[in-house]
Amino acid sequence: MIGAVWLRAPARARLHALRELYRRFFGENTPDARGRRLLAEWLSPAQRAQFEQHRYFDVIGCDTGRTYRIHYGTAANVHEIDHNGRATMGWCFVPSGFLVPGDVMLAQKIALETSETAALALANRFPPATHTEHFYRRPF
Amino acid sequence: MRRLNMATQIVMDRTGDTRHEFDPDNAEALARAERRFRELTGAGFTAALRTGPGEVTQIRSFDPTAHETLFYPRLVGG
Repeated sequence: MIGAVWLRAPARARLHALRELYRRFFGENTPDARGRRLLAEWLSPAQRAQFEQHRYFDVIGCDTGRTYRIHYGTAANVHEIDHNGRATMGWCFVPSGFLVPGDVMLAQKIALETSETAALALANRFPPATHTEHFYRRPF
Repeated sequence: MRRLNMATQIVMDRTGDTRHEFDPDNAEALARAERRFRELTGAGFTAALRTGPGEVTQIRSFDPTAHETLFYPRLVGG
């Protein structure tokens, strides 16, 4: 059915559809997509794989060796986790200004991996049960 | 044609990021990049370099040999 419609469509319409398809799947240049690309470039291969599968990735704090899970989002998206992956504390700190989720997550990763104590000193704590997985919206 | 040894300064902003490419072999371009580094860090941005896959380090002074420098705005409690 779709194939028949495709064949009857004028060339210009087909070209337009093809361009739209290309734009959506390969040429995304929205702030969100740019942020995700930048984040992916700076993640380790393990973090990237984890992010692609779960929408979060783990980082190790440079000062304490504690593990933090950074979820997709722009606020209240960092959890300290225990050895079983259970969240024990939420930490809220973000770069100032209006940044997309990928940028916020990358800044949080760099801060925890290079100046953990300073980042946590300005962060607000929150109980980890405040937000469920449903709180973090699906990015893509 | 883009030169292979071009360096980039990536500044996070509301568009995702803005990239400033420059030729580190060009003294004038290098001076502009250093000025941009000072302006951004002076305004509270943090500068970071990639030192390996997924490995990062913060820098507090301009590194003329850095291939890619990332700047993110001052962190605040959420």
